[in-house]
Amino acid sequence: MSLVVDKPKGRGLTASALLAPATIFIVISLFAPLGILFRYSLNDFVPQTKTMVEALTTVQYVKFFTDPYYVSALLTTVKVALISSISCLILGFPLAYVLARMQSRFKPLLIIAIVLPLFVGNSVRAAGWMVVFGNKGFVNASLMGLGLIHQSIEIMFTEKAVIIGIIAVDLPFMVLSLQSVIEGIDRAVEEAAFSLGAPPATMFRRVLWPLALPGILGGMILTFILAMNAYATPFLLGGPTFKMMAPVIYNEFTQKTNWPFGAAVAFILMAVTLSLTLVANLLIQRRSTR
Amino acid sequence: MAELQIQKLVKRYGDFHAVRDVSLTVADGEFLVLLGPSGCGKTTTLRMVAGFIEPTAGQVRLGGTDITSLPPWKRNAGMVFQSYALFPHLTVAQNVAFGLEMRKAARPEIDKRVEETLALVRLEGYGGRLPRQLSGGQQQRVALARALAIHPDVLLLDEPLSNLDAKLRQEVRVEIRELQQRMGLTTVMVTHDQEEALTMADRLVVMSEGSVRQVGSQRDLYERPADRFVAGFVGRSTFLDGTVEAPGRFRTDGGLSLTCAGGQVSNGGGKASLSLRPERLEVAAAPMAGLDNCLPGTVEFVSYLGAMIDIHVRLSPADRLVVQIANREGGFTPDVGQTVHVGWRASAGQVFNK
Repeated sequence: MSLVVDKPKGRGLTASALLAPATIFIVISLFAPLGILFRYSLNDFVPQTKTMVEALTTVQYVKFFTDPYYVSALLTTVKVALISSISCLILGFPLAYVLARMQSRFKPLLIIAIVLPLFVGNSVRAAGWMVVFGNKGFVNASLMGLGLIHQSIEIMFTEKAVIIGIIAVDLPFMVLSLQSVIEGIDRAVEEAAFSLGAPPATMFRRVLWPLALPGILGGMILTFILAMNAYATPFLLGGPTFKMMAPVIYNEFTQKTNWPFGAAVAFILMAVTLSLTLVANLLIQRRSTR
Repeated sequence: MAELQIQKLVKRYGDFHAVRDVSLTVADGEFLVLLGPSGCGKTTTLRMVAGFIEPTAGQVRLGGTDITSLPPWKRNAGMVFQSYALFPHLTVAQNVAFGLEMRKAARPEIDKRVEETLALVRLEGYGGRLPRQLSGGQQQRVALARALAIHPDVLLLDEPLSNLDAKLRQEVRVEIRELQQRMGLTTVMVTHDQEEALTMADRLVVMSEGSVRQVGSQRDLYERPADRFVAGFVGRSTFLDGTVEAPGRFRTDGGLSLTCAGGQVSNGGGKASLSLRPERLEVAAAPMAGLDNCLPGTVEFVSYLGAMIDIHVRLSPADRLVVQIANREGGFTPDVGQTVHVGWRASAGQVFNK
């Protein structure tokens, strides 16, 4: 779009005045704490007195990457986030497609139904999952009652439970992100592919997928970031031995009051999330422009 | 290319009949236009031929083969959409090559055919552009090239010109028609624009409320419309309402007794309309001799259209006619309020039951 607009005098000023509150808010609420936190992550910590000592050291970062406990927490987090966001894509695409192509007057209601789970807080929902998937929970009790199993299946406090929980939280974000993009794709383009001899699978691969790519990318990034930073779900459904990054950070800050290390872990999580997102973005964009 | 046969095609959505019992044959190389107002079932019929809509009943045969239950990707029908539906992420050449790739043609063959087809629509050198870098008229030509590249058995055009501006539309009409004739393409086009339909078609099908009202050449539809709807939809008509008194005699609601074409048997005093072509009526300041009907009236409205002038004349409190006269130099142009005489031959009108 190239739109040349004559700018009346003073419009620039009005625009800055309108942008200022949000900008100031973001600076104060996001960048300032991040800056302070980053400074903390370079400080030293005395375990005996549980106090932070002013310093300029990378000891916290070294500690993270040399301790297998923390490294495995990071790897688990990345793994869970990847599996859950890919699952969201696979589960969400058909749903988003049907929703985008629907012309019923119930469509707004269905969109609300998709968003409805978000009305329940993560911790409340996770508590519900605990009831459903516990060893004596709804699923196991039903299966045993029906005589289908003799020993309760272990779902609670496993990676499975966490992944299922995260998918449930993130799916609406994926569906909405895909739906809005698919809605912008002319239905006639799909029909054109059909009439030119493309069966549905080929049409999907050659037309729908490339055109939906911005939505796929947006949904993947959103769900990946949400999963990387998930706190309540891994904490409640993963149990005491399951470690993901967000609960680890919380633990460092509150239980151990180790601010420098907590800050370092937080920065590592942010850096990993950001760089994985950027790399994926670049890879997909390069592929699609080829 | 092949002959297309549509036999007793029906499409129902619940209680709604989108298409009722439509049967048509499009000869090899013929350009058939489905003409009708929106919601008349013309697009639904076309989409059933393309395979996008499954008919409730009936058959579609292409080149003698029953294709009714074939999915669109197995039909070899080239379709041009109203929105063009070009693949926005592919270049012009890739768009045109798409159908050939689906047919697993070899690369050199595809490249050759793409080049030929782009030359056909006068878009040489545009192969590397993306659709959004083209004008509306160019996009339309790419859509046509894409449909032609697969050497379709039938070419389907769904209001292909409605997104072009008026001037361009007139050029593209001729262009498509010439291309179609040169290549001998069996073509079905859907449109609601009668001028477009009249300029392009070999034969026209007028549809309304899901049914075929009349099939015929331009002349058939204009000179011998089958009913009041066709008379009003193809060309212009001006109507006088009344009853048929006796064969060849029409009495208007305003009490005027008129001579009308014979053969029209009285329908037992039921309501009828006398349909007249405004351009077949004559108007003069004094009574005219040698016409079957000549009536005095008052000019109520005059609209100046450039080449033509429309004159609305009231013949009686219940009867008003539109007369169209050519705007000749020194010709008679009445003013509003003036008393004039309107005359016509009986053969200029046709009586339809209401």
